[in-house]
Amino acid sequence: MSGLPADYLEYPLRKRGMDHEIYPYRALPTAKPVQWQGGARVALWITVHVGHFPMDMPLKPFIAPGGMERPYPSFWDYTQRDYGNRIGIYRMMKAMAARKLTATALLSAALAPLYPVLMDDIEAAGWEPACAGLDMGHLHHGQVPEAEEAATVKQAAALLRARFGDAVRGWHSPAHSESPRTLDLVAAEGFDWTSGWLNDDMPYGMATASGPLLAMPVPQDLADQRTLQQQNMATEDFCNAVLAAHAALDAEAAATGGGRILTLSVTPWLMGQPHRIRAFGAMLDAILEKGSVWNATGSAIAEAWRAQQR
Amino acid sequence: MLSTQNHYDYMPWRRRPKITWPGGARVAFWVAPNIEHYELYPPPNPRRPPWPRPLPDVSGYSWRDYGNRVGFWRMADVMAKHGVRGSVSLNVAVCDHYPEIIERCCELEWELFSHGTYNTRYFYGMTEDQQRAVIRENRETILRASGQSLDGWLTPAISNDEATQHILAEEGIKYTLDLLHDDQPTPITVRSGKPLVSIPYSLEVNDVPLLVIRNTPPDRFAAICKAQFDQLYEEGAESGTVMCMPLHPFLIGQPHRIAALDEVLRHVTGHDKVWLATGREIAAHYTQHHLAAHQAWIAEGTP
Repeated sequence: MSGLPADYLEYPLRKRGMDHEIYPYRALPTAKPVQWQGGARVALWITVHVGHFPMDMPLKPFIAPGGMERPYPSFWDYTQRDYGNRIGIYRMMKAMAARKLTATALLSAALAPLYPVLMDDIEAAGWEPACAGLDMGHLHHGQVPEAEEAATVKQAAALLRARFGDAVRGWHSPAHSESPRTLDLVAAEGFDWTSGWLNDDMPYGMATASGPLLAMPVPQDLADQRTLQQQNMATEDFCNAVLAAHAALDAEAAATGGGRILTLSVTPWLMGQPHRIRAFGAMLDAILEKGSVWNATGSAIAEAWRAQQR
Repeated sequence: MLSTQNHYDYMPWRRRPKITWPGGARVAFWVAPNIEHYELYPPPNPRRPPWPRPLPDVSGYSWRDYGNRVGFWRMADVMAKHGVRGSVSLNVAVCDHYPEIIERCCELEWELFSHGTYNTRYFYGMTEDQQRAVIRENRETILRASGQSLDGWLTPAISNDEATQHILAEEGIKYTLDLLHDDQPTPITVRSGKPLVSIPYSLEVNDVPLLVIRNTPPDRFAAICKAQFDQLYEEGAESGTVMCMPLHPFLIGQPHRIAALDEVLRHVTGHDKVWLATGREIAAHYTQHHLAAHQAWIAEGTP
């Protein structure tokens, strides 16, 4: 047997810290404690995934979670997701408005020209617009040619800025997928923060070839898309898990004297269904009843965090 | 190619020579946190791609990175609170990348054993010499980082090849976790005749299969682990059993799951006939007190 090539047993990046230069290692207990507005223990960041799933989206090299699983033309998949942008999101807006809560919309930029009225209503709701790529058919990954990816980032940023101007500060890589260049391209387009990486509960700084970005925590492990759609969990199990996360973060904030962030990663075509919306409202009530919660947009949390690092 | 395994003899779950644990315990309970590093740009392996998405698989990489930045620290605090030591299934490159994690493990008097160098470097397709080189290097690294001897082994991603168990024994490894055939330690047959034993690991009460593959919500996870313990505790009245609880900090250390670990450990430590052991201690006790009796029983045809 010839075995594996000799370099399979060589480890050129085996050294203190990470095996890349994007960010240094940070153990959460060593992070500088931050104080939230009003002394809140937990910042509640509601991220709403407002996605466009093109019916002709590529299915290779992998299907984006929530992507077209059935043969073309999958009206089955397309219209269910589209339901979220027509109905579900309005239910969620109503549930949040009733509790005076704000959110960050992680928007497929293609929706700006497709559904301009929805953009108006998101703005009127006081939500923050952030860019989640062009659409779910334009994922960023290592096999996308560089020029094509650069054009996609530019186009996505331009579409949303044409509608929302400088309010667009955040970038979320769709499907938490990136190429080696994505962060460089995103920073070059002037974004402040990004939320594609799943490695922390608190913000941290990233270095790119085009300057710094702030990594903001959006969980995938506790996203409704993963639990309800991919894992077929019951709504109650998802909501209970979110409340368990809140309890743990709240206790940690009390113990350490540093604020924590509870990020909800929710999706209108899932959470905005009639059979789930009351559970969504009840979950929000339970979070608010615990007290010491500061609800804010991603940019507001990012700014508060940044101001305390100096 | 093998069509059956060649490392252990058939040992029916009845009339086995009795295993007794220290203090008259019924169950040896041990926790095996897998402290791992998955590389952002690992080299290819002919039998298994390291990541499902094209490199860099940001989703997969950053999720696992959560374990080292956040999850480990939370998990370690809960284990310490219950006086439960870990036996770390360690990608030994962690000693170089994150020495602060190793420092915390040593402070808590946890055992370190090897889970290979990185979890993205599989044993599939390695020559015997290549496998031997990794094991030797891992032994040196663990000794340098912690002063501990390397006694136990779990092949990275359980990618053990046909010769791996033989090589482990020849390299002085005392216990292996690569085989999932039993609820008690058993003898392992190797070509050199050296005394390698298997001690139970688990892919049942293991957070990866339960949480990622079987989609188990946190409260069900706790219920399953408690049920596993209750049964092994009951059967342990007859002959000592082993319960292993393998953990992965990127999963169990998430804020929505940490209370489930707390609940399981509270349940386990609330019983008096439990030996809170490490892998090394279980292997040593079994090898010293019970291995010969098991071998004799096998030689007699398991009457």
